[in-house]
Amino acid sequence: MNINFTINGTKTSVDVDPAMPLLWVVRDELGLKGTKYGCGKALCGACTLHVDGEATRSCSYPVSEAAGKNITTLEGLSPSEEKLHPIQQAWIDEQVPQCGYCQPGFMMAAAKLIKDIPNPTDDDITANISNICRCGTQPRIIKAIKRAAEIQRTSSATL
Amino acid sequence: MASKKTPQDQLNSEQPHPEQPQKKSLTRRRFLQVGGIVLGGAMIAIYPGRVPMRRAAAQTVENLDFPASISSYRPDFWFEVLPDNTIVLKSPKVEMGQGIFTGYAMLAAEELEVPLSQIKVEHAATSTGVIDSLGTGGSTSTSSMFTPIREVAATMREMLKTAAAKEWGVDVSAVTASNGSITSGSRTITYADIAQKTKQWDIPKTPALKPASAFKYVGKDTKRVDLKPKVMGKPLFGIDQTMPSMLHAVIVESPYIDGTIKTIKTQEAEKMQGVERVIRDGEFVAVVAKSRYAAETAARAIEIEWNVPKKWQQTDIESIVTVGKGTEVEVQNEGSAKSIIEKNSDGVFKQEYRTPLGAHAQMEPNGSIAHVEKDKATIVIGTQAPSLIRDQVAKALGIDTEKVEVRTAYLGGGFGRRYAKMNAADAAKISKIVGKPVSVFNTREQEFQNSMYRPNTHHVLQAKITSDGSIEAITHDQATPDMIIEGMAGELGMTVFGADFISAGHGASIIYNTTNRAATLWHNKLPFTTGIWRGVGIFANTFAIESFINELAHKLGKDPIALRLELVAGNEKINKRYIKTLETLAEKSAWKLPKTHGTGRGMALANDRKTIAAAAVEVIVTDGVIRVHKVTHVLDVGIAVNPEGIRMQMEGCVMMGISASLYEGLQVKDGQIGASNFHEYPVATLRDAPEIQTFILEGDDVPYGVGEPPIAPIAPAIAAAVFDATGVMPRSLPLKVA
Repeated sequence: MNINFTINGTKTSVDVDPAMPLLWVVRDELGLKGTKYGCGKALCGACTLHVDGEATRSCSYPVSEAAGKNITTLEGLSPSEEKLHPIQQAWIDEQVPQCGYCQPGFMMAAAKLIKDIPNPTDDDITANISNICRCGTQPRIIKAIKRAAEIQRTSSATL
Repeated sequence: MASKKTPQDQLNSEQPHPEQPQKKSLTRRRFLQVGGIVLGGAMIAIYPGRVPMRRAAAQTVENLDFPASISSYRPDFWFEVLPDNTIVLKSPKVEMGQGIFTGYAMLAAEELEVPLSQIKVEHAATSTGVIDSLGTGGSTSTSSMFTPIREVAATMREMLKTAAAKEWGVDVSAVTASNGSITSGSRTITYADIAQKTKQWDIPKTPALKPASAFKYVGKDTKRVDLKPKVMGKPLFGIDQTMPSMLHAVIVESPYIDGTIKTIKTQEAEKMQGVERVIRDGEFVAVVAKSRYAAETAARAIEIEWNVPKKWQQTDIESIVTVGKGTEVEVQNEGSAKSIIEKNSDGVFKQEYRTPLGAHAQMEPNGSIAHVEKDKATIVIGTQAPSLIRDQVAKALGIDTEKVEVRTAYLGGGFGRRYAKMNAADAAKISKIVGKPVSVFNTREQEFQNSMYRPNTHHVLQAKITSDGSIEAITHDQATPDMIIEGMAGELGMTVFGADFISAGHGASIIYNTTNRAATLWHNKLPFTTGIWRGVGIFANTFAIESFINELAHKLGKDPIALRLELVAGNEKINKRYIKTLETLAEKSAWKLPKTHGTGRGMALANDRKTIAAAAVEVIVTDGVIRVHKVTHVLDVGIAVNPEGIRMQMEGCVMMGISASLYEGLQVKDGQIGASNFHEYPVATLRDAPEIQTFILEGDDVPYGVGEPPIAPIAPAIAAAVFDATGVMPRSLPLKVA
């Protein structure tokens, strides 16, 4: 069955089992490996991407639900490799990643958070993002989200 | 060395064997001798003296600088000069998030005379690069390579200089290397150009290394070399790799310990869309399909009834791992600790502690990609031990190890998990059957239930306190199942060693200056694989010993830092390092100031193979819920190669330590590992992140390990803080306030 959606700005059609999780469609059918498999049960957040702007755990989201929608993965978060999204810039500035495997999911969840809450407190951050990291980057993730929010505020002020 | 071809043949035929860095060779021989005592012909001769011999072996291992076991120090195996003057360093150690690629780039840049940005670090492949047969673990990647990498880089620089001097017909003393180029008078040539031109290389003796005072990079905060690709979501990890015509497979494993197939129905699975075939070979069952989704879906559709020979329960597991059961191995016995404790059984202070089975739960599940052709195999895998994988695959296929190429991808977390229970041999078997490359990655359920685990432990600590309040004797008994030693020494070695003091029992000895002190391991076997976990032995032993010291301090009415300062007094370098660490901790944590109302405070100290770690924590306990809100951490590391990298390791250990202290523990139930996914194995999340202050103390000799030592003091410091806050001393993990 053909399912049509837009991914990172490009119109796409896939012919797959409608029950196939969006995660595997993105990774294996479209070759975008930035979205990670972690648990398969929407528990860890490694597979977080955006569906029509909403942070979504794609391992438990059937591709059929994505029909006609706009999907953004980490690969589509920034306009280019040189012009990074505030979240990616802050992740570099605060030197967040260790192994880096969980970070795409964290970055996608955080990008949504600072869109909704432009000046998040610690509580806003910890109450809204429940992703898992085992290297122990949590303290830097919190700092980086605040820094990203600051970058976002500064850049929108100059627009 | 040049990009097009490596002139190894010329090297072999025209040059004598290059000068090996002497120091490292000696260190390696020393290591082999340690093994030799046990595994060589002398074994039978020393067997009657088994107890002192085991103790000697254990103490030797405890104090050993674990060297790298590197296959070659020839620069042409290590470096490649690309036409754009990028220098590729092929790392024998793997990048699993500890930042080793950054540290190695810094070390190489010091001696190569190139900017850091000009060095690109990659994993060495087994067929073309240097192999470290010990793998990557034990917090040794920086300490073991600190000198060798600089020596190889310096040798490489001299080779380039010699080649340029020859090209220009001048003496090598008339050329200089800087900024990736070689210069003599008005002439200059890039490393890339001279590498391209040179057909025959002279390898000089290992040059003298720069003194520390001339370091440009070492000691300076340096951003990780892999930050950008990681934040852009590049396909770096094993699970991201693909090969042309690659299929996917999921292996079906018993969710029961020692479960075997009673009945199996595969018909439904075989008919499912995308499924190529279901492989059944005795107990081995795998679904091969066009996509991971199809393979996993079909694997779930296979109906299996399992024979379960014994329904293991948690009580069985704890009973097996109990002091007094199994093989007894004395690892420390000074003065007459044991007899003092035995004679004074009435006046002895005694406590028991337990740590549970733990999961690594690293975020990328284990797996591998295998491509088996005729008589050769290619494996792509994120592993801590590529050479072990090469051997396993060669054995499984019945081919020579030289016919197996292992390419390492970035690891999505390691923590010891990627030393054992990896599936490359199974992936190779599947690839051989289907005749195509195959990607075989665990589901999270397999990663929990068909895995290897941090071993559970039981500890009995006893102390004799004299009438004037000093500690006359301390004994520590630790029960633990085996880990890596069985793999290294085999059953025969195990008979002689008796217990795993290299890893599971590491840190069991008492470090405090009590005249009478002893430590004993009790080794037993569990019905599943237990193995390395971040700082495994030092984690459990420090929890028990430091909790006991904190309890002793309370009993004696002494401040825990003051008591420790008494117990580490002395004029040796090690005493001074302990004292400085403790004093720094007291100052930075404001230990002497009254604590904040409503909080509890605790601290602990550890020595993990020369790195000294101390932490002070503050907790708040509300309605039985423990929250760590501040951690002050001091680490004495010797030379700090990349201080920012060390701080990241310290923060990581604080978080993993909090996670293990407050949440983690596997229970065995009705024959199964009682957690199948994160809902049954909670771990620390953002809300658990405390305020963390890190302080690095530096020495002037060599770098010590930093990946695991910082985790050691976290759990006992939290336990002490909980006691301080509530008056209830928790003595098992995860910590609970009743």
